[in-house]
Amino acid sequence: MGYSDSDGGPGGPRGLAAPTAVKILIAGGFGVGKTTMVGAVSEVEPLRTEEYLTAASVGVDDIGLVEEKVTTTVALDFGRITIGSALVVYLFGTPGQERFWFMWDDLVHGALGAVVLADTRRLEASFGSIDFFESRGTPFVVGVNSFDGRQDRTEAEVRDALDLDPRVPILMGDLRERAVGRDILLALVDVLMAEQQPVPTR
Amino acid sequence: MNHWSEERLDDDPEDSLVRPYTITRGRTLPERGDLTLITVVSTIDAEFGTANVRGLQPEHRMILEQCRIPAAVAEIAAGLNLPVAVAKILIGDLIALGRVAARPPLALAAGQKPDIRLLQAVRDGLLRL
Repeated sequence: MGYSDSDGGPGGPRGLAAPTAVKILIAGGFGVGKTTMVGAVSEVEPLRTEEYLTAASVGVDDIGLVEEKVTTTVALDFGRITIGSALVVYLFGTPGQERFWFMWDDLVHGALGAVVLADTRRLEASFGSIDFFESRGTPFVVGVNSFDGRQDRTEAEVRDALDLDPRVPILMGDLRERAVGRDILLALVDVLMAEQQPVPTR
Repeated sequence: MNHWSEERLDDDPEDSLVRPYTITRGRTLPERGDLTLITVVSTIDAEFGTANVRGLQPEHRMILEQCRIPAAVAEIAAGLNLPVAVAKILIGDLIALGRVAARPPLALAAGQKPDIRLLQAVRDGLLRL
């Protein structure tokens, strides 16, 4: 199967045959720049859609413990990168309400990998996403958003604070820059490719 | 949106005052559980466009129009301004009618490794950004 034909680069014409689609999740705490990154690398303005999620929750009322269904609406921002007429990468910025998107099976299943974005002023906001992908065995990289070029922590400090495996790349930069987002995604693909090798190459 | 008027094709979904599950005639679960956010949907026989739309709701016709260029379920839902679950029900209707085809994404179960050629293609594509 050929994925890398040259017609139909970003913004180019697409054939009528349906392309294969893959997805990458862009996660992290509220306000760390998920939609910013999606918008910077997507060939289209980020699109927004939503889903109703229903989950069992245990509540307490006057007849004791009652299990009830809680339905919430979770929003999703996403963009796309057309690789060719045969392959499209969708970037899904996970909603800010982390407690809920973890339960969105269709969103979290079958991703190539994930990007966890972090803000050095509140790294703890990204703990949940890191725990989630580690526990699922989903490959991920970490991107640290240096707003306006401000970098007040070193990579080593961030790695230490996030208790990250040394093999997980950390990239720092201004997520409004397309090149920064691109390099974060390239780092993720490199992790995925390295996992294909019998002997780690990096 | 005026669902009682079959003639209006140009309504803006932003203006919809119809509750989503009215559009699906009360159905809340898609008949096909295999549609995902990135299942790619394409209109069959796009040359006919939205001809022969008797019995279809405006949202069905919008999907047929949008998917003349293949689009993912998430894009269709965004285009309709409807929740993903509602879009899936409507897409399922069109699959059952043979009006659209659905291409599932690459099956990547947990722990399964993606094809190296696919990764190389993604990498090459990113370098062109």
